[in-house]
Amino acid sequence: MGIEQVIFYVLAFIALASGAYVVLSRHLVRSVFMFFVTLFSVAGLYVFALADFVALTQVVIYVGGVLVLLLFAFLLSSKESLEGMEKIPSGLLSANRLPAALIAIAFMFLLGYVLFQIDFENLDWITSAKANGNMILVSDNTIRNIGINLMSKYLLPLEMISILLMMVLVGAANIARRQPKV
Amino acid sequence: MNFYLIYFLVAIAIFGFIATFSLVSVYAERKISAFIQDRLGPMEVGKYGWLQTAADILKLIQKEYIVPALADKVLFTIAPVIIFVAVYLGFVALPWAPSLVPASMNIGVFYVFAIISVEAVGILMAGWGSNNKYSLLGAVRSVAQMVSYEIPIGFVIISAVMISQSLDLQVINYNQGILATQEIKFLGFLNVNHIGGVLAWNVFKAPHLLVAYVIYFIASLAECNRAPFDLPEAESELIGGFHTEYTGLRFAFIFLAEYAMMFLVAMLGVTLFLGGWNTPLPNIGSLHLADYTTGTFWGIFWVMAKCLLVVAAQMWIRWTLPRLRVDQLMTLCWKVLTPLAFACLVVSGLWRLILLSA
Repeated sequence: MGIEQVIFYVLAFIALASGAYVVLSRHLVRSVFMFFVTLFSVAGLYVFALADFVALTQVVIYVGGVLVLLLFAFLLSSKESLEGMEKIPSGLLSANRLPAALIAIAFMFLLGYVLFQIDFENLDWITSAKANGNMILVSDNTIRNIGINLMSKYLLPLEMISILLMMVLVGAANIARRQPKV
Repeated sequence: MNFYLIYFLVAIAIFGFIATFSLVSVYAERKISAFIQDRLGPMEVGKYGWLQTAADILKLIQKEYIVPALADKVLFTIAPVIIFVAVYLGFVALPWAPSLVPASMNIGVFYVFAIISVEAVGILMAGWGSNNKYSLLGAVRSVAQMVSYEIPIGFVIISAVMISQSLDLQVINYNQGILATQEIKFLGFLNVNHIGGVLAWNVFKAPHLLVAYVIYFIASLAECNRAPFDLPEAESELIGGFHTEYTGLRFAFIFLAEYAMMFLVAMLGVTLFLGGWNTPLPNIGSLHLADYTTGTFWGIFWVMAKCLLVVAAQMWIRWTLPRLRVDQLMTLCWKVLTPLAFACLVVSGLWRLILLSA
């Protein structure tokens, strides 16, 4: 087993274990901080998929943005609402948890089914891409490819997302604005 | 196996550099502040007090680790490590000389920008873990400030990258001197590929990057939580901010991270705007000053010289300007720096389209 494989399995284990901790811990702040570990190790896994740009974007957006936002939301929320959360009955099959448990189990079944049904080595599009030499190598500069595709093939989705974000920004600024005295 | 040995050696070398730099710059900071305030500064330990910081670090190492009784012990212990490691990892991508870079990657700029943002999580961890209202307020202030100032920094970095046409810090460096592979035009019209020197730096290739560098410099002071943006540790209001409860080696790590961060942002700015390891001396006629002063040794020398000058300017500003209020801090970021950074971005795009494509 090469060093790459060792690192891969270590990262995968950290991602799974910290993810489990995030869900299972009763200690809210710690699970938010543990989420940081999960996101970071998933970013590491992205590097193995030759998606280094996605990995770094994950760190910028989730660790630098979303996680900090989560923490701020946690710090600013009142104590009563957090105590109310702890009163939710905790049995696995209680009324509050049953739908979530069902969805989670169904999704896991689906993933497992796909994993065992599909022979990943011999998929049509993978073999044809291999035959045509249409592959990304470790030494390739992926970011140029991403930039060109974003500005040509996927320009419309990109612009739609930016309009959506613009609307969110304007809305947020409007909500945060000082209320006019009536 | 030698391969991995080199990795470890590089990591140790970077750490050694950060530690030495912090020792020297703490001494420099005390001497500069003394000079500005018309005092002498440390004079007792060693000649002119030059052993003062070594004595300080010895004292810090011997101190007891104190964990407050009600603190979240795990978070409290991990936080300084995360703060330091975030800054330490940033050094990995920064080039020191032609063909001398710890890890060459084609998205180096983005990597440094991304990894710095991890520091915010460490600071919040320290603030929350301390279970102290001053620490928490300091951490919240610090993170709000860092997240806000990341926006102007991001936009000026993009405007420099648009001129350089690469996210690889080493390529950005190459294209600001005589070793360039692309055409360099001083102020957009005069070809200076063979003259090099100061004329080939990004700030002179496209003069609006001078404005961009000033924005970068101001915003990087806020990223380092240094005066005039040191509200997170405003001692008159918050005792010591997020590191109030820390003692001994843990405090030393937070301190180390602060000084490492100063050098990191200085080095990133130098690389993006001020020519990185390129010499400021141009080739004049038959006097090939730029050719003489380009190389591995000279590269390290120029990077160090430029970065230390920038760090000295950071210290000079710290001891000259008073601290901003919170609302002034946010006004400066959102109403002054961010629109200016946007303007730089637009000018960069036009520059690229109109001047360089013609």
